[in-house]
Amino acid sequence: MRKKASSTIKLVLITSVLASCGQPVAPAEEAKQRVFMRADSTAPYTEVTKDYRDQHRTGGGMGSSLLWFMAFRHIGAGLGYSNNNLNPSSVSGTNAKKAAAYQAKRGGFGNTAASSKSSSFGS
Amino acid sequence: MKVKQLTIDPNWKSRLTAIGYGYHTDNEEPYWIDDYYYEITNSEADTIYQATAEVWDMCLKAVEHVIANKLYHLFHIPGHMVHYIEQSWENESPSIYGRFDFAYDSVKRKLKLLEFNADTPTSLFECGIVQWNWKNHYFSESTDQFNSVHEQLIASWKEIKPYLKGDVLYFSCAKETLEDLTNVEYLRDTAIQAGIQTQLIYIDDIGWNGHAFIDLEGESITSIFKLYPWEWMVHEEFGHHIVNDIHRTQWIEPSWKMILSNKAILPILWQLFPHHPNLLAAYFEPQRMLKNYIKKPILSREGANIDLYYDKELIYATPGDYGQEGYIYQELATLHKEESGFSIIGSWIIGQEPCGISFRESTMPITTDKSRFVPHIIKH
Repeated sequence: MRKKASSTIKLVLITSVLASCGQPVAPAEEAKQRVFMRADSTAPYTEVTKDYRDQHRTGGGMGSSLLWFMAFRHIGAGLGYSNNNLNPSSVSGTNAKKAAAYQAKRGGFGNTAASSKSSSFGS
Repeated sequence: MKVKQLTIDPNWKSRLTAIGYGYHTDNEEPYWIDDYYYEITNSEADTIYQATAEVWDMCLKAVEHVIANKLYHLFHIPGHMVHYIEQSWENESPSIYGRFDFAYDSVKRKLKLLEFNADTPTSLFECGIVQWNWKNHYFSESTDQFNSVHEQLIASWKEIKPYLKGDVLYFSCAKETLEDLTNVEYLRDTAIQAGIQTQLIYIDDIGWNGHAFIDLEGESITSIFKLYPWEWMVHEEFGHHIVNDIHRTQWIEPSWKMILSNKAILPILWQLFPHHPNLLAAYFEPQRMLKNYIKKPILSREGANIDLYYDKELIYATPGDYGQEGYIYQELATLHKEESGFSIIGSWIIGQEPCGISFRESTMPITTDKSRFVPHIIKH
């Protein structure tokens, strides 16, 4: 029977990333650290230091911590998160397959949730 | 089964936040209860285990019955999904989890199934991680809890792994839902520990390239766990692509769970197993002999649009936007009541194994998204 408590529990993803949410960033580190991003290995980098710091200051839980990379991406057509401080050249390189990814239709799932006031779509 | 008090840890919120639990309060109202708990006996834990295993077995027989007799109209399942659902059942497309909600009648010592959250159950992180950490914070190491959710998740992913399509199992939920994202990330964590390569993608970022679902990099999605209701997906713009997808993407939970997550399964169970001790009488039409009953939409979430009738008089109703697909009528259950409120027991089935419980408590006898999560221990 499995009605006994787990003897040990290890989290590899959540504790390592999520538990760091809300940790204050040392001012000295803020001053030194610069962050550059690109969405494609063939695309040029753009500096996003300011955006990265803003995400960390919010302490908004795992959404901002885990998905901060996604938050800067231009998906097009208003999909995904986007940030105009990231130069569009940094999200589109010369990789044809990845370029095709931007041509795909997106947003075909999720509309029901978008029109709901609920904070969870589970049960 | 009774409520017991604790001297609250003044740092309880920061303790929970430190383990990645960010929604313990809702507008200053506690969702997580830290300073009292349910103490259950070993015998009560056994009873819950056996009821969960038995009802799960009955549910699988009920799915077989619905498919064999093509009763899809009772569930308002769209026609384009029927063959797809039948194939997912015949192929034994794997399921990872589900949560039964039981009423516990303390006088008769009987558990009665209220409903089965078979498709998108949440509160898994609270049950498997937060509740376990709470026990270890307040009690000795030898104190027990009906909770092997974590190890059962890892074991179940290991069993499922050989049957997954492709190299990557995607995990998905809607944007800006911290509760759903926490549950999804917890599941992903356990899948990683089972040796599965994973990737996160929001449900609205999934792409369609004309013949397959793709991720943000244009890679095909061939296996995906989604914390997003099937009944919504099939009616959305990409709903028809599910059956046209050349990869026949493996969705977890599988599409046959649409039958079990629909409250139309409750009258079907009652028809197949009348007067079973763990079932409440349930019907598709109002019954003259039912005086005290609940009217539930076949598709609704978080206790929305529930009407409670006592002596055939409507005495309580919850708001919501559901009900257009129809209703079922279920005998009113006797809920366990303490000074702190009415409670129900959520009992998890992971893989094929009952492995964890949680208590949800409400001031009113209907459990909603505002209901409090109360941890438990098993009495020595």
